[in-house]
Parts: sequence; C-alpha cells; structure tokens
Amino acid sequence: MSYTNEQVSHLVEGSLDWETTFRMLSMPKDNSRFEQYLAALQAKVSFKDRIVLPLAPHMYIVQSAKTKQWLIKCDCGHEFCDYKENWKLHASIYVRDTEEAMTEVYPKLMAPDTQWQVYREYYCPTCGTLHDVEAPTPWYPVIHDFEPDIEAFYEEWVHLPVPERVD
Amino acid sequence: METQQSNVQVMGIDAGGTMTDTFFVRADGRFVVGKAQSNPGDESLAIYNSSVDALEHWDRKVDDVYPELATCVYSGTAMLNRILMRKGLDVGLICNKGFEQIHSMGRALQSYLGYALEDRIHLNTHRYDEPLVPVSRTRGVTERTDVQGKIVIPLREDEVRAMTRELVEAGSQAIVICLLQSHKNEASEQRARDLVRDELKKLKSDIPVFASVDYYPSRKESHRMNTTILEAYGAEPSRQTLKKVSDRFKKHGAKFDLRVMATHGGTISWKAKELARTIVSGPIGGVIGSKLLGEYLGDENIACSDIGGTSFDVALITKGNFAIKSDPDMARLVLSLPLVAMDSVGAGAGSFVRLDPYSKSIKLGPDSAGYRVGTCWPESGLDTVSVSDCHVVLGYLNPQNFLGGAIKLDVQRARDHIKAQIADPLGLSVEDAAAGVIELLDLTLSEYLRANISAKGYNPAEFTCFSYGGAGPVHTYGYTEGVGFKDVVVPAWAAGFSAFGCACADFEYRYDKSVDLGVAQFASDEQKAAACSTLQEAWEELAVKVIDEFVINGYKPEDVLLIPGYKMQYMGQLNDLEIVSPVSSAATADDWQQIIESFENTYGRVYANSARSPELGFSVTGAILRGMVVTQKPVLPEDPDAGPKPPKEAYLGTRPFYRHKKWVEAALWKMESLKAGNHIVGPAIIESDATTFVVPDGFETMIDKHRLFHLKEVK
Repeated sequence: MSYTNEQVSHLVEGSLDWETTFRMLSMPKDNSRFEQYLAALQAKVSFKDRIVLPLAPHMYIVQSAKTKQWLIKCDCGHEFCDYKENWKLHASIYVRDTEEAMTEVYPKLMAPDTQWQVYREYYCPTCGTLHDVEAPTPWYPVIHDFEPDIEAFYEEWVHLPVPERVD
Repeated sequence: METQQSNVQVMGIDAGGTMTDTFFVRADGRFVVGKAQSNPGDESLAIYNSSVDALEHWDRKVDDVYPELATCVYSGTAMLNRILMRKGLDVGLICNKGFEQIHSMGRALQSYLGYALEDRIHLNTHRYDEPLVPVSRTRGVTERTDVQGKIVIPLREDEVRAMTRELVEAGSQAIVICLLQSHKNEASEQRARDLVRDELKKLKSDIPVFASVDYYPSRKESHRMNTTILEAYGAEPSRQTLKKVSDRFKKHGAKFDLRVMATHGGTISWKAKELARTIVSGPIGGVIGSKLLGEYLGDENIACSDIGGTSFDVALITKGNFAIKSDPDMARLVLSLPLVAMDSVGAGAGSFVRLDPYSKSIKLGPDSAGYRVGTCWPESGLDTVSVSDCHVVLGYLNPQNFLGGAIKLDVQRARDHIKAQIADPLGLSVEDAAAGVIELLDLTLSEYLRANISAKGYNPAEFTCFSYGGAGPVHTYGYTEGVGFKDVVVPAWAAGFSAFGCACADFEYRYDKSVDLGVAQFASDEQKAAACSTLQEAWEELAVKVIDEFVINGYKPEDVLLIPGYKMQYMGQLNDLEIVSPVSSAATADDWQQIIESFENTYGRVYANSARSPELGFSVTGAILRGMVVTQKPVLPEDPDAGPKPPKEAYLGTRPFYRHKKWVEAALWKMESLKAGNHIVGPAIIESDATTFVVPDGFETMIDKHRLFHLKEVK
C-alpha cells in the first residue's frame, strides 16, 4: 500500500478524506510514509534547513543549511537550541499557579488546586506559538520529555541514510 | 427445454450493490437465473434487464411472462443505500428534555459498529457518522415516565406545541416522537403525538408524525428511537423506489402485487406501514430458501453458508426454525427490529491478500476487490492481489468464462502480481503461494463455521450444510472438509439462491411488543391468569396492526392466519427464547401451564434438560404476533434418474488444476447438461455461467432429482 504525496500533505493538513484516513490507520504503515511526511512538512516551512525529525506540530529538529548542526527550530524560524538540549529551557514560560490563572482555562472549582498541581506553558519567544504544556506538582523540575535516537531510527526503522551532522 | 409451454409462476429479485439477479420458476419446477448490472438511479430498469436476460434462456419475452406470474418478491439495497448515503427526509425529533444528544451519541458503540476486530480495539479509528437527525432539529420536552411506567413529571403540553412550530419552521419533512419508557406506558407519547398533529393542522401542514409506540414499542431507548427515525427518514422515499418498480411491472402487464423481503424472514407489501424492516433483505433470502429445501430433503438441522465477494455469512436452522435477533445493528445503527440471526466474517472470494510487512504472515481483507474481481482483470485498475487472482492462477476458475464470458481474465497478470507481492517475499513458487492463500481462507471459513455450530452447543454431524452465493461452490469442499457434516448440498442455482429464497418466503407481517411479566414457579391460579391476560392484551393490540397491514392489500381479516408467540426466560437469566405459542389465546392458569411447558421443552432442546431452572420462575419479555396469508411458492424440479454416468455432451475437456503441491488434470463439466443421478469423482470442475463448483481429488458429487449436488469426501 502506498499513497501519493498529495494524500500525505492532506493528512498533515487534516483534510484527508475519512475513507483514506481509515485505511491508513488500520493497515500496516506504508514504507515510504516517513519520507513523504517529511517532504510535506518541508513544503510548509519557509526556512531552507532540512527537517530531520518533527518534534511537535510546529517544532522540528533540523539540519542547519549553513553549519550542518542539528537544531531545534520553530515553524516561524526561531532557533531554540542544539537538538540534544531541552528546548523548554530556551522557551518563554508561563506558569499558572494561582486560582485566578486557572479559571482562565477551566470553570471555577473544576481546575486543580495549585498547591498540588500547576500548569507550565512553553511558548516560542518569537511567534508566541504554544508548543507544550506540563501539568506537574509545583516543585517538579522542567521535564526533558523526548531524546530520540535519530541514527537508529533512520538506519534500522525506516532504512534511510542518516543526514549529515556537524556538532 | 422440453416442456416449453409450462407457465412461469414465481419471480424473485435480488437487487444487490453491483448485480441485480432475477430468478424465475415455472410450474414444473424449472428455473432460470438472470443477471444485469445494477442501476441505483432506476432499479426498475435493472430488474427489467435482468428479467430479459433470464427469460432469454426460455426464448420468452417479458411482456408475455409478467402477466403469467402469481408472485414476485423483491429484495434489495434501496433502503440501506438511502441510509448509508444519508439521502432521506429532513426529520424533526421530539424527545425528553436533557436527552437531545442521545441520537447523535449512538450508545458510543455506533462509532465502531461494522468494524473488524483490529479496528474496534483501536480508539483512533472510531468515528461517529453524521446523525440521521441533527441536534438543530431536535427538541427536548419536559416529561418523565419512570421504569415502572409511572408518570413522574406530566407532559408540558405548551412546550410540545411550541416545538412543533419550531421544527416546521426549521424545515422538517416529518416529525418523530420518542419518549423514555413509552413502551411501558404510552400515555405521554401518544398525548404528544396528538398535540403535534393538532398543531400541524393549525399550521395547515400535512407532514407525517411518527410516535415510537405506534411502530416499535420495545425496550432499549436508542434502538427504539433509531428505528422510528429510520422509518420517518427512509421509508417514504424507499416506497417511491418500490412504486417505480411496481409501476414498471404493471406497464408490462403484471397482475401480481409486489412484495418485499423483510428482516424477520417474511415478505411484506411495498405499501406496508413499516418499511424500515426492509433495510436488509438479500442475505435473509438464502436462509429462507435453505429452510424450504430442508423441508424437501427432510433435513431439520441446516447450516446455511453464503460466500459473496466480501463476506461469509452463516445462519443455523435447528428443528426447522431459524433464530431471530431482536436488537440487531445495521448500517452502523442500533435498531429494534426482528432480524433473522446471521453471523458474518469479513473474508470472501474477492478479499484482498497482503503480507504483513513485519511478521510476513498472509492477511485476508478486511477490504475486497468487490465487482473489480482482482488484478487478473486488466480493466479493474487494481494492483493488490485478491483471492480470485489465486483461483485463476491455480485453475479453479476459467479465465475465458468468468460471469459467462462477460469479462476476460488475464492469468499472467495475476501471476506477476502474486509473484511480486506474495511469492517472492515468502520465497515460495507462485502456485504454492496462491495455494497457501486458498488454504488460509478455507481454514478461516471452516473454523468459523465449526465454531458457530459448536459454540451454540450443537454437533456438526447432525447438520446438513447448504453452500450458495456466487462464490460458494468454489470453496464448498474447502470449508466443509473435516467438519463432519451429515451432508453437504450445493444447489445448481447457487448464484441466484438469495433471489430464489425470497420467492419462497411467506407473505407475513410480524409485530413485536415488549412486555414485563414475572411469575413464580408455584404462583396462584389468579396470578397465572393475570399474566395470561396481560399477554393476551398485547397480542390483541398487535393483531389490530397485523390485520390492518393485510387490509391495505385487499385481504379480509378472516383470510389472515394469526400466529401468536412470546419471548420467555427463567427469571434473572439474561437470554430469552422465542416460542411459538401452543395456545391461540391465553386466559386461564391452564393456558399458562402450556405456555411454560412449551418454553421448557425448547430450553431443554437448545441447551440441556438438566439446565432447566423452573425454580427461578418465568419471565415473559415480549409478545410477538405473526400473521400470514397463502401465496404461491416455487416448486423444485423432479427429474427422472438418468443413472450415474454423465451424458457425453456435458463433458468439456480438462484443465490443469493445482492442489496439494501438484498439478492434476481436472475434468470439466457443463452444469446445465448434467442429469439427475449423475455421479462425478474429483478432480473435476463443474461450470455454469454464474458459478463454478469445484470437486477436487478426494471428493465426489452426485446430482439429485431436485438439481442439488451432494458433495462427499471419498474415504
């Protein structure tokens, strides 16, 4: 089973018809999907850096076109940091730790007690996109949630050459 | 054919998604099958074309034959397609306040109905179809009747009037009313119905009003609501389709009244009040036909098996009766309709074959090539291997004579696809890969069949297996081998069997009503008599409806044979059994005794005598009333025995046929030329235009006087 590039970009946009989406969901993954998926994402961004791996709906690990360093980058072009670091430490952070702040997103009495749980929102400092929300106990350190083994993924899972990297 | 002058009496129609089959039977039992491409725009045209095709075999013209017919039964997908394509009326719905979303929510399970198991267990594939009635045309009225039927909050009448005006304003073409517990106490719902009618009159609007109690007074709120909505949404437009069919018949001189196959296994008039129950009809025909054949052959226990392109349907007939399911799901809706119980697995002759890229195991379906056959048909545009491709490569099917030669199949093209997609990755020869696919399908089907029989507590040795459907006879040997059936029967008209079955069905209406009766084992005579009177009341209520339906078709009430029945269970148990009542009316403690005896006998037969538990007491959960009138049914041919040796003209030569890792030369026979009594030993392939019957080595078959093939394993 394989799909056209057009179908995959509809998938990325959320505009793929249900019948095809259903088939994609219930069949084993098609071999060329990752490449097609990257191409669809690459076509959507304005920067020249090559996308190595998507991290979130608006965030990627890219290979810098100039230095070949792998960086974490926002849709808008904002560069957070090296791909091994925790990008959250380079984001603008808003912490909801008062009842007042909580009632902005939940009806009164239906939000957590902020003595027990707070929301930490991580925004892009350039475009303001909300990239992630954590819901930890107040004292908990910033979570580094994803440290992908990109070499293994490329070589052993999708059988593609690993993009060049200069550290 | 020798007796050319014999009248044609019965016609059966199976208007499927891709092909429209017609089946004509003469007074002497001879029959012909016709096929034509379906025409969703005008079904009547496809039926006409199919009739022309069938009658050509007899050199007869439609205009001569239609006036001769005494009976015609239609089964088709008209109603089902209307629902699936969401092309019904704009319905307005009045329900209880706070329950406006119930219809859209579909008990949550409607989000995965009809899915294969793998997709059911993965939440991300779940999806809700567009509801038949949008929330914008739904109104909730203040009212509440409790589970005991007591009115706790009376109906707010002014609300009902205001809602009626709003729904009409919103463009409703019909209004459905379905209130909680109305099967238990209909007062509020009927009051609401009358108010809506009154308000519509004031508005000078004549849109129809459907109250659930008038149609489906059964417990289970979502089911009852869906079914009543279905009636309002699809029945009237479907009636128009059927009227068109009926009109075309009349134009060609027909004098019969068109009847439609319904889910309960009887046929109803196209003028019937309740047409929702025609939503599924084709597959039921096969079960009805099997029942009739069973009566001819003296077989009481039958396993009916139907292989189509996409699915394998199994139904059981035990002691001459098929089972009825009262709350089935169809078209991804939970419904409250009596349906002939059938089990399906999504593997058929057209199923796609793929290799799992990780485990390298062969996977069949769940999707299928359908009418596009497979890669062996170059015009199909397909590039995924189907089961049919494997059949063509192994010599099961004649590439020159598929559907009577209507399409030519390319064996090499199928070979190439099987090689690339299945054989090479597995390191097998094309033949062994294809044979592996067939073996897997046969195994899947025979396991399914066996499980269906033994899981219900029966022994296959007590069953005769009937195999039909266009692709059935190709697989019959495969899925019956080793199961140990008493007999395996393939009718010569397997491809038109559903249409035949429809023609066999009684002209029968069936109405159901939920009742709640609980009576202890040693209850007093007064208590037993009281239970009888509740049941009798329900029967009388249903009798009015049944007789009304026949009156529409010009029958007198005294022509109608009424058959009361009931659903009973031991108190506290979960499954009820449907029983034909031993008493024609119930009044006394003695009647009650007969009612429970009949139940206990059935219970002992279905489960075991030792499992009977009268000490729990007895519950009646439903009243059933069936009414029927006498109709013309097909008779089976009675041919003289021509001896075991097939006539020379039936022999067509040989074809290489691959099974069990070797090629053999299979004898080819023309099905139409074989005579009663002929005996054929495998490897042989018996061909007709519409079907292929495979008899591999190790099997033999004999054709009997009714043109039924009996398949046996040679020991």
